This record gives sequence, C-alpha cells and structure tokens, in this order.
Amino acid sequence: MKSALFTAGILAATAVAMPAQADKLDDIIASGTLRCAVVLDFPPMGSRDESNNPIGFDVDYCNDLAAALGVSAEIVETTFPERIPSLMSGRVDVAVASTSDTLERAKTVGFSIPYYAFENAVVAREGIEMASWEDMKGKTVGATAGTYEAIWLEGKVKEWGEGQFRPYQNQADVFLALSQGQLDATVATVEVSEANVKSGNFGGIKIVDKAPMVPDYVALITLREEYGLINYMNLFINQQVRTGRYAELYKKWVGEGEPADLTIPGVYR
Amino acid sequence: MFNYTFRWNQALNSLPQMLEGALVTMEIAILSMVIGISIAILLTLFRLSRNPLLVGIAATWVEIARNTPALFQIYMVHFGLAGFGIHLSPYLSLLIGIAFNNAGYLTENFRGALKAIPDTQTRAARSLGMTPLQAFRNVIMPQMLRISFLPMTNQMVWAILMTSLGAVVAMNTDLYGVTSELNARTFRTFELFAIAAVIFYLITKVITLSARLLAARLFRY
Repeated sequence: MKSALFTAGILAATAVAMPAQADKLDDIIASGTLRCAVVLDFPPMGSRDESNNPIGFDVDYCNDLAAALGVSAEIVETTFPERIPSLMSGRVDVAVASTSDTLERAKTVGFSIPYYAFENAVVAREGIEMASWEDMKGKTVGATAGTYEAIWLEGKVKEWGEGQFRPYQNQADVFLALSQGQLDATVATVEVSEANVKSGNFGGIKIVDKAPMVPDYVALITLREEYGLINYMNLFINQQVRTGRYAELYKKWVGEGEPADLTIPGVYR
Repeated sequence: MFNYTFRWNQALNSLPQMLEGALVTMEIAILSMVIGISIAILLTLFRLSRNPLLVGIAATWVEIARNTPALFQIYMVHFGLAGFGIHLSPYLSLLIGIAFNNAGYLTENFRGALKAIPDTQTRAARSLGMTPLQAFRNVIMPQMLRISFLPMTNQMVWAILMTSLGAVVAMNTDLYGVTSELNARTFRTFELFAIAAVIFYLITKVITLSARLLAARLFRY
C-alpha cells in the first residue's frame, strides 16, 4: 500500500514536472516536423506554383529553418488575421508570415529579430491624377486587412479626415478592386506592387511613389514564452545573413539589388 | 494545448467601438429585411401572375438566392457588378447582397404560407366584386404575413449573422469589421471575438424576443 502510494506520488510529480522540462524547441526536434504558418497569397513572399505547391521567400525560409533544426518542414497556409489563432491553438509552431514587429503585438506574441524589411509603394489606377503619396488625401484607398500598411493607411485617412479606407481580405482582392476602379490607390510592399504591375494580371495600374513609412521590419513569431525557440530563431536569422543565404533568397524571389539592411544604427536590439 | 493568457481589460477598452459597429450591423439587417420583404411580396405576385416572363424572373431569383452561398452573392454584387462599371461602396454591396438573399428565402416562406390559405378565400373575395389585386392585398396578404411571421424572424436573425460576410467586400464599420480590425492591431483574438460573439448573441436574442411580443400584439384574434 505504502509503495503504491509512493509510486503514485512519483508519477504525479513527473506528470507535473514534465511540461516544464521540454519546451517548444525540444518538442519540434522530438516530433521531427516544423510546422510553419505561411501566407500564400502574398507573392513574392508566399504563393503557389502551377502545380499548386507553396513557393516563395517565406516558404524557403521555413525550409531553411527546418533544415537547421534537422527536421522536415510542413507549410500550413494561413491568412494574415489567422496567424495568431493558429499559433495559440497549437496548429503551427512558428509563423514565417512577414509579421511586422509592432509593440502592440509584442504584448501577445514573441518576436524574433527582423528577418526581412519591406519598403512600401503607393499604387494608383491609371487615369487618376496622382503625383505623390499625399495626393491619396480625399481619395478612396484600401489595403490588405491586417497588414502593417493597412494600419498605417487607415491612420492617415483618419488624420486627413476625408476620403475612405477599405480593408480587403487579401492582396488579390485589393489589386482587383484597384484595376476595376473600386479603389483609387493602395499601399503595398514594393515587392508585391512591382510583381503585380509586371505580371499584367491587373490592368491599368501604376506605381506612383514610395510610401513615407519607416521600413516595415518583419519578424518570425512564436508563443511569447518560448525563449528557447526565439533564441534559436535569432541566431538562425543572423546566420542566414552571415552565410549569404539572405542575399541569395532575395535574388531568387525579389530580384537584383541589395536586400534591406536589417540593423538599425545607433541602438541595440 | 491552448497557450493564451486572457487580458480582458485591454479588449474591453474597445467595447464602445464595437457597440458602434453593432449599430451598423443592426441597421444593415433591418434595412435588408425591409427591402427583402418588399421584393419578396413582389416576387410572390409575379409567381401568382401566370405571366411566363414574370414567373421566370421570380423562379430565377429564388433559385440563385437559395442555391448559392451568401458569401458568393455579396462578392458578386461588389466585384461582379464592378466588371460592368457599376461601383458600389462596401456598405451598399453588403446591403444589396443580403437583401437579395433575404428576398429569395422569404419568397419561399410566403409560398409555404400561401399553401396554408384555402383557395376558396380568393374565390369568395372575387365573388364579392374585388379585383384579383384587391383580393390579394386585403384578404390573402395579411394572412400570408401572419403565417410566415416566425420564419421571417428566422431570416432576420440570419441577416444579422450574414453582415459578418461584409469582410469580403472590405466592409469595416460593422461589428465583424470593427472586431477584425482591432484584432489586426492588437492580436487579442480570443477576447475580441468572444466579446463580438456575445454582442451578436444579445442582438439576435433581443430581435427574436421583440418579434414574439410584436406577434402576440399584432395577431390577436
């Protein structure tokens, strides 16, 4: 009886202690799979090829991270608003989904150091008089719901006190609305804007100007308390730049030129 | 495994904005019902008219409204019509989409109600010298509306819940739009959507209860 009680006690104690020992980094390595949330209607960061396979900068980035961990990668398609529910409910381990590292969001999720930085461009439909970004004042503008540029643009429209802001559900709908004339202008990353103007899928649009925001630094995200994983991701991002893989991926998905500097002079991270 | 610490105070700070959104949601639902009922009465008349063109219009409307997703209907109002150069604001697209859907379903409700009214009533009214339209308006329609009153409240609840589909046409002032925008900014997904769900529940509860009270008053014999 006594020994049975003792055994039960030991069992209970290990059951309580177990979750504290293995953190997410251990779990990923033990399970052999890294599950990444990636947004797949956000070229060139994430999209699908002709045979419907996920491709893009973020997809490669997830594959690299999985390779570094020695596990296989599983790409879980997500939308921008769905990133957090997927993380919290344990459907994915990390989100490699161009997530802007705002202070407001950092209260909820854990950010790595930036792994990419976007510049944003103002895209207008042809036939609309627009010389600079400030001409968006009073116009009907829109952007992809839940993105950094949408939050910025809506703030501007409120500040101007005229015009209208419309958040569409995905990048494709924004550009469809723009080429149909539902929108006069949008703000999107330079990468996305150039890809869409070049592809010719959306007729009658032109890039007008750069949007005057600070570069939109984006980071990998996971649960806030997973310091082990966050530390690992920080070193991984550092190594991606150090080994030249960052520049290589930039060339592959974005094009010629220098990828954005991920350091900010004059301050520690 | 659910790894999340609930922080209600932060989310509750946004309650005033969400309640404003709830007002817009109710406004759209009520307007879409008023428009939907009017069109449904018209379509019912079309159906009774025996004119092949009018019957065809009513049948097509009901077929499309009932057999395609409401999401698709709203999307088509916004992006489909824009293909023909008709640009509707998100608010109008959503309102028209829901009204279109309501009209289709309500026409079917009215048909069911009509079946419950004996033909002899029309004949009796006609033999009193009423024109067909008079007979419909004075004898048949009041009974039709009474019989289909509860299914109509059902549709009203559905209309309220359908407003959340406005997201696909960039609607951002209704309850769902306001909530998802707050979510993008703060990432407090679970609190915000829980609050939104409670508000939706309360709105529909208030609507169904007041409809029941109204029915008790209106349809006393």
